[in-house]
Amino acid sequence: MTEFPANDNIDLKRYGLSRIINSSSMLDTPSPIPFDFLINGEYLRSSLQEYLQTNGLNAEEMLNVQYVRSLIPPVHQASFEHNDWISDIDVLSATSRAGVWSGDKLVLNQDRIVSASYDGLLQIWDPSGKSMARSSSGGHTASVKAVKFLSLTQIASAGLDRTVRIWKYAESDGGLQGTLKPSLELYGHKASVDALDVHGPTGRVLSASADGAIGLWTTSKSSAPAAPTNLLPARDPSPRSGNYPDHTIRTIDLTTSKVENVITTSHPLLALTPLHRNPGNASSSVLLAAATAARHITLVDPRVSATTTSVLTLRGHKNMVSSLAAGPDNDYSLVSGSYDGTCRIWDLRSVRSATKSEGGGNVSESVYVIERESLKGTKQRRTAGEVPGRGVKVFGVAWDKTFWHRQRAARIRWCRSIGDRIY
Amino acid sequence: MGSAKANLKRKASNIEANDPATTVKIAQDSDSEDFGDFGDGILNAVLDDEDSEDDSYSFDGEGGDSDDGEETGSEYDIASEDIPTDDEGGENKLALTNGTTDLDKGEGEGEDEDEDEDEDDQSNYRIEKDANGGIRYVYDEIDPVYDSDDSDAQDPTNTIGDIPLSFYDSYPHIGYDINGKKILRPATGDALDSLLDSIELPEGWTGLTDPETGKPLNLSRDELELLRRVQMKEVPQEGYDMYPDTVEWYTSHVEQFPLSAAPEPKRRFVPSKHEAKRVMKLVKAIREGRILPYKPPEEREKEEEQEDEVHYDLWADETPRPPNVMHIPAPKTAPPGYDLSYNPPAEYLPTNSERKAWEGTDPEEREKTYLPQKYDSLRRTPAYDGFVKERFERCLDLYLAPRVRKTRLNIDPTSLLPKLPRPEELRPFPTVASIEFTGHDGRVRSVSIDSSGQWLASGGDDGTVRVWGLSDGKQQWQVKLSSEDPVDVVRWRPGQDGLILSAAVGEDIYLMIPSTMNPELEQASRAILDAGFGYASNAKQQTTATGARKDPPAKWARPGARLENEGVLLKATVRSPIKTIDWHRRGDFFCTVSPTGQRSAVAIHTLSKHLTQIPFRKLPGGAPQTASFHPSRSLFFVATQRTIRCYDLQRQELVKTIQPGCRWISSLDIHPGGDHLIAGSYDRRLLWHDLEMSARPYKTLRFHEQAIRSVKFHPGSYPLFADCSDDGTLQIFHSKVVNDLMEGPTITPVKMLSGHRVVNRIGVTDVTWHPHHPWIVSGGADGTCRLWT
Repeated sequence: MTEFPANDNIDLKRYGLSRIINSSSMLDTPSPIPFDFLINGEYLRSSLQEYLQTNGLNAEEMLNVQYVRSLIPPVHQASFEHNDWISDIDVLSATSRAGVWSGDKLVLNQDRIVSASYDGLLQIWDPSGKSMARSSSGGHTASVKAVKFLSLTQIASAGLDRTVRIWKYAESDGGLQGTLKPSLELYGHKASVDALDVHGPTGRVLSASADGAIGLWTTSKSSAPAAPTNLLPARDPSPRSGNYPDHTIRTIDLTTSKVENVITTSHPLLALTPLHRNPGNASSSVLLAAATAARHITLVDPRVSATTTSVLTLRGHKNMVSSLAAGPDNDYSLVSGSYDGTCRIWDLRSVRSATKSEGGGNVSESVYVIERESLKGTKQRRTAGEVPGRGVKVFGVAWDKTFWHRQRAARIRWCRSIGDRIY
Repeated sequence: MGSAKANLKRKASNIEANDPATTVKIAQDSDSEDFGDFGDGILNAVLDDEDSEDDSYSFDGEGGDSDDGEETGSEYDIASEDIPTDDEGGENKLALTNGTTDLDKGEGEGEDEDEDEDEDDQSNYRIEKDANGGIRYVYDEIDPVYDSDDSDAQDPTNTIGDIPLSFYDSYPHIGYDINGKKILRPATGDALDSLLDSIELPEGWTGLTDPETGKPLNLSRDELELLRRVQMKEVPQEGYDMYPDTVEWYTSHVEQFPLSAAPEPKRRFVPSKHEAKRVMKLVKAIREGRILPYKPPEEREKEEEQEDEVHYDLWADETPRPPNVMHIPAPKTAPPGYDLSYNPPAEYLPTNSERKAWEGTDPEEREKTYLPQKYDSLRRTPAYDGFVKERFERCLDLYLAPRVRKTRLNIDPTSLLPKLPRPEELRPFPTVASIEFTGHDGRVRSVSIDSSGQWLASGGDDGTVRVWGLSDGKQQWQVKLSSEDPVDVVRWRPGQDGLILSAAVGEDIYLMIPSTMNPELEQASRAILDAGFGYASNAKQQTTATGARKDPPAKWARPGARLENEGVLLKATVRSPIKTIDWHRRGDFFCTVSPTGQRSAVAIHTLSKHLTQIPFRKLPGGAPQTASFHPSRSLFFVATQRTIRCYDLQRQELVKTIQPGCRWISSLDIHPGGDHLIAGSYDRRLLWHDLEMSARPYKTLRFHEQAIRSVKFHPGSYPLFADCSDDGTLQIFHSKVVNDLMEGPTITPVKMLSGHRVVNRIGVTDVTWHPHHPWIVSGGADGTCRLWT
């Protein structure tokens, strides 16, 4: 770390500081890398001077400024429109999970986005916003609630009609047209299936239903009992539906179907995503981010048993948090979508201790807020008592190195999904 | 006793008095009687001595007796008087000495008498012989000497008494003497005689006539001398010495030694208990300071003066007091500053303008009462002219200014409020609106969440019933039941075995199965609905007395093909418009209330038999407003405008009448525990009743500004209840109900949820709780439903 007098730099903002760091005297980077600066667990968003003023600090004091490679705010790139509300999306790209599983079979520029809609249709898009394929007849008879790429050619979806369906996706050679054909219908749940997770190499699909059950399915036609797969982390049994009254996260050993660990939270949980810490290391650990109906995201450590060990609380959403996605390139960023019509990007490194009214613990605040494109610019004054995010609820987010997507549902007939490209 | 004996003996001796031999004895007796006046002891001793000569036997006894008497006497003395005084001893001694001396004395006297008798024998009488030849004592005439007071020797006195002498004027005598002889009138001489008499005055002539004797009254020389002395105011008796020399009859000389030789009594040597007591009394008195040693008066006065002049230093041991509430020290005068100096620094001296300004202002408004002045030396400093005035004002201030700390009653009004837990401690409860369900055209009249918590049903003025996904706000199903009438109430049938929604439009109750993409559940629900058709057809038609077919209370039928395709499978029509539906917890019965329905206002429907019963032929208290089943017992609550009646359905009797005291009950709900009831009223009151207690409300909550439309307890595990009002707000209350009979429920208002728009003075029409979460859904007149989480 370098110490330098800030007297002449006191009115510098992030960009100026970043330039100092990039300069030849400091790091001497060949091309400028954007940096962000953490002071006492808070990102510097104003000039140093203003920071000092707002925090009542003396200009003579030493400030510990930590610089990190900044998360670049996503840029709106394209919007995709459905006829009805969109419930979930997933991304296929070279860096996405399904793309990794597919390996070399992935052709360059074959990035695809799949979106599920409340009208029971799936749609495949290419990044430019061109509709590649649409599920034909024989698909879901009711709203689709979740969709995931299994591999380059397989898509799993689940919905209100209590089925988990596997689709076969094929594209023409030019990559201009594709077909989406149903290949498998998996019955078994007694109520609507609200969430899915997949594991491509073994063809396992995990589904969570409003009837309180979790289904583990295999995609192979011979539905023999599956070999144990422990790769999948724990899943919330009641994501999205709020059907479970016990507000718990249960870790289930898939081999023995035993509940290993129950973590109780105080609020209904709507979504769950694992955050891998130090992947590949011996000390790798998983942190679970759970989106609650109480407008915040709780990070819990599943290793500590039986009690809620809330590591961190992410506050800032104005309405229920409906979906979560972990950052693809590091283990400390997270994106969440909420019913308040915004997506928020969180950096887990920016931590401060909570005030008493927030109930103690550690609290983080969002780095970026991505608002709805259609609402940007229309800075309508929010009337008191209006429900936050009325008509612009965000139902799903996906984050990828190549893409990052989110989609929102509007209450009128037009709905769309928006893909925002990062780089 | 002794004296009695002496008397006897005296009598005896009197009897013998004639005996000349005993005359001596008589005389002796008479003498001894004289002695007897002095005391028994003396007499006894004399008599006893005499008796001892002839009767020694009686001597002992009498002597013992007399001793006894003495002893008892002394004993009595001791008993009566605690203090054995010397006087007693003296008395005894005297008695003893008397006893000893009396003997001698008696003997002595006896001798004296004998001598007297001898003299009397010679001169007093002579013995003559009487006519019988016996001896006769003839006593001589007693010659009274001059000193004798025998008055008989005087002149015969007239005995006529007070009669005037004039009575005897006609008689020669003037009265009678003591012997009855006439006293002759003294002869009166001639005038010449009297003249002569007057010339030759006899000695002691007075010129007066004794009226008694008629003789001239002459006064003797002695009498004249007496008169002269009286006139001269001298002692009339001649030779009377007023101041004679003292005759020492008794010696004043005190003898040193006692006369008695008797040994000292024992008590002289034994320390006296009484004395010890007295001493102790004195000691105690001395110790207590009641008896003070004697001091000469001068000394005492001095001491008293000294005592009076003791001075105390009030402030001798005074320590600086901590600031007390009641102790307010006088304000101190400020110490003098530089400007009070006789030679202040130049900057303290006033400029001309300051001086003018100071002089210009009113003395009372000046900041300083003085102006700093400069003098060359202290010697030139004049006397401070305002000194006396300033001292006076200071003293006046100290004296008059009431330095009293006024105790002001500072009561924090919040402290008077009852202690309620902070709402933050009572989490979770709904706080914000999360999802808005929009789509209804016109008011939403009723909302309901199914028992799984997934679906929200709403019915409104547009005649539609809509089913929404609760967690995402997406409308899932919709049916238009009527184009004219609003849907007044929608209620899910409780129970997980089917998903059946009931709605009331006008007089019709529709039972429907919303499509939720769940064929099995739909099938089960359809079976539940259709199970009653067989019963309905087989049931006997009720007939009236005339035999005509009686109109059944309700007609159960299919609603028609259009609605049937949409999932509305059953329709029951009653006689009057239905306003509320309440399901029994088992899902087989539901009750409807149609306030305008006179006798058939309250109906209980059996779903499995398609049967409608009217339990109350006549309901007292006016039109019923709402009705409800008890959550666990077979009780049924019917609310009229002012009262709530609780009926036992099994025994078919009235259990309790609850009087909330409001004017118009709008809704009621029963605590899941079953012992409490809340009622909302159109006159803005929310009333909490303890069913175990009185018919009057346990608590009346008046927090709304407009009529309360609906009240609901949380059906699950959260101790919450909510009400909604026409002022567009919901209020969430936390109610802690304990099983302890001694403690009433604690009701805490925790949140007011506002957001619904008020349309045509109607705000929130209905609320319903999520069965598992602390979430509430409200339906408003603005056509939206809101989920509050």
